[in-house]
Amino acid sequence: MKSFTLGPAAAAAGARRPMGGRPVRLAAAAVAATASLVLAACGSSGGGSGSSPSPSTSASSGALTVADVAPFSGPDAALGPTYLASCYGATSVINAHGGVDGHSLNCKSVDTRGDPADAVPAVNQLYASTPNLALVIGCTSDEAASVVPIINAHKTAMFCMTGQSEFDHVHFPYFYRLVPPDLEEAYALVAIAQKLGYKRIALAFGNDIGSQAFVGPAIAALKKAGITMTTNQTLDESANTFRTEAEAIVSSHPQAVMTEALGTADPTLLSEIKQLNGGKMIPVIGTSALISPAFFKAAAAAVGAPTLAANFHADNLVTETSGPAYNAFKSALLSQQGKVPGVTGNFTTYLSAPGGVHLYDGINLAALAMLMSKSTTPSVYAPDIIKIGDGVPGATVCPSFVACAALLKQGKAIRYEGPGGPTSFDAYHDSTGLFQIDTYSASGAVNVVGNITTAQLRALSG
Amino acid sequence: MSLAVSAFGFGLVTAAVLAIASVGFTLQFGVTDVLNLAFGAVMIFGAFVAYLVNVQGISVWIGMLAAMAAGAVLSVLLNAGVYAPFQRRRASPITMVIVSLGLTLIIEFGVQALAGGVAVSYNVNQGRTFDAGGLLLNAVELVIMALAVVVMLATHALLRYTRLGKAMRATAANRALARNCGIRASRVITITWAVTGAMAGMAGTVLAIDLGSFDATSTDLFLIMILAAVFLGGPGQPYGAMLGAVIIGISTEVSAAFIPADYKYVIAFLVLLIMLGVRPSGLLGERT
Repeated sequence: MKSFTLGPAAAAAGARRPMGGRPVRLAAAAVAATASLVLAACGSSGGGSGSSPSPSTSASSGALTVADVAPFSGPDAALGPTYLASCYGATSVINAHGGVDGHSLNCKSVDTRGDPADAVPAVNQLYASTPNLALVIGCTSDEAASVVPIINAHKTAMFCMTGQSEFDHVHFPYFYRLVPPDLEEAYALVAIAQKLGYKRIALAFGNDIGSQAFVGPAIAALKKAGITMTTNQTLDESANTFRTEAEAIVSSHPQAVMTEALGTADPTLLSEIKQLNGGKMIPVIGTSALISPAFFKAAAAAVGAPTLAANFHADNLVTETSGPAYNAFKSALLSQQGKVPGVTGNFTTYLSAPGGVHLYDGINLAALAMLMSKSTTPSVYAPDIIKIGDGVPGATVCPSFVACAALLKQGKAIRYEGPGGPTSFDAYHDSTGLFQIDTYSASGAVNVVGNITTAQLRALSG
Repeated sequence: MSLAVSAFGFGLVTAAVLAIASVGFTLQFGVTDVLNLAFGAVMIFGAFVAYLVNVQGISVWIGMLAAMAAGAVLSVLLNAGVYAPFQRRRASPITMVIVSLGLTLIIEFGVQALAGGVAVSYNVNQGRTFDAGGLLLNAVELVIMALAVVVMLATHALLRYTRLGKAMRATAANRALARNCGIRASRVITITWAVTGAMAGMAGTVLAIDLGSFDATSTDLFLIMILAAVFLGGPGQPYGAMLGAVIIGISTEVSAAFIPADYKYVIAFLVLLIMLGVRPSGLLGERT
């Protein structure tokens, strides 16, 4: 075909436009500059930025703010709303019972876009615009490394959902964590593979910080378990398709795929694996991050809900599924159904979302510590978080904010045991839980099908 | 080796989707003189329009027609409401780029606010997978490739054999002269926005079909690939864009067969840099 040249193309060669326009080289330079800007602005997110106050509780002069510092856009956009749902649930109960020393609690979302570079200005803006900030929750592995030092420097107590091992032995006085380090979760993934009798495993993890943290420990644990790693694919979560990666996985003939790649990456990969494997899904072992309504909705749409339900296992932190603590949590959370901005999908799935459960506990622990210390100043109340979580000799165990607050009023020592189970903080304020094995039903409900013992994890470590 | 052959086939599919978008982009750029970085956002807008149709139980291919109409309308509105006024005020090219970048964010965030941050999928049967000497392609991928060929041929016919195409070329070459020759340049430009907007809607839908799962940000990286294909072929060169799309699409996928897959875009853009180093005007661009 004859090549047609449209206007600016002529200028692209350096010529000026006939109408006296500027060289298209300038446009090309602009493309180069703005292309990187597009990537920076949209590549990891594209979602909304900044923060927005929760509409559920109107701010009053005495209101305190709980900030959910987490991704609300980008590949990990499902995390922020999950935590926000718990924040709404916990604070609704606290507010309904008088708040903390007369202060009501608001929830505020702060979108980090899942990017440490975006998280820093977002947190700085949070401090500039929120003089009544009482607690920070969220701070996932995506942004924890960049925001924890800032939050700590502002002496704000925080409950973070990061498994990053750098927090195992670094002391941040205002940092609290109710989830285990990523390497333990990597061992849990391998323990699931062992339990299911798999001998050949393919790895497919996203290229974000949080997902890549699993790869090294998982490879070491697979070796220790005598399981062959057939291939290790790193998925660019901003990419559009993963066909070649999927074909590499299929052609390596694994019995299962171990994965965490958030956003559209995992649903796309699983869909392509299924297509390239003759319409047959290869079983998947996912991390706890894949237990979320957003993931189920996207993955079920991509491969079919029954197919996903039949081929999916994930590790998850042990959380209670019955009893007074769970019932209080369930009641609090479900009371907020339809009221939490940005939350879509099957709301009941949040009842078993580990992040949501543990941050609900974190908010309750902080609120009770405020009551106990009769102060909303983190430097004053923060030490009481550990006293309430771990308990002191003779402390009365209580399962909810309401029950614990009543005991505090009576002057009794308490130990809060919420739906996330008992806590045991170490010197670095880490309280690691136990793992269970979850599956999905075709409707998206989460089922617990087994547990992973500490001994099993220990056998795979080191 | 079989993985490389498979990857070549996957590259052809990527190239097909990329070609539809790149030709639309370069045609728009060439005629309107606007480097519209919101093209990717119009694509995803179209993809979601098709999704809205598809969730009503209607075929996604019908949805694609709705996406094309929506893309055309949105593009015409963008030009009439934003780009044309800026052009009338003789805004500099970099200003127009920044304006288009702002529009990108507005459209994307708007779509995300309406659709939520959750990934969605079309209800579309991918059909059986065909294995031809290691090339693994399913029925939908073959349809997408056929669609790309049709779009390329239609573009060629439009530019070469129709009065509108000739008017577009004339307007692109010299708008003032075209006007003096009796061509209603502003009308041609409006039609160009509509045609290329429809191509954006189509490209967005086939991209979303191809992805299997998409959200409001799914065209972010794809826009960069479009730019790469356009500048590799030579900006304003429809056939250059086709060639650029094939090179970028195939090099992206085939490189993933040999190196860690998260470097595949690095390889593709290295190819672009090297080619532009050798030939700054692009493969089919005119030499000075």
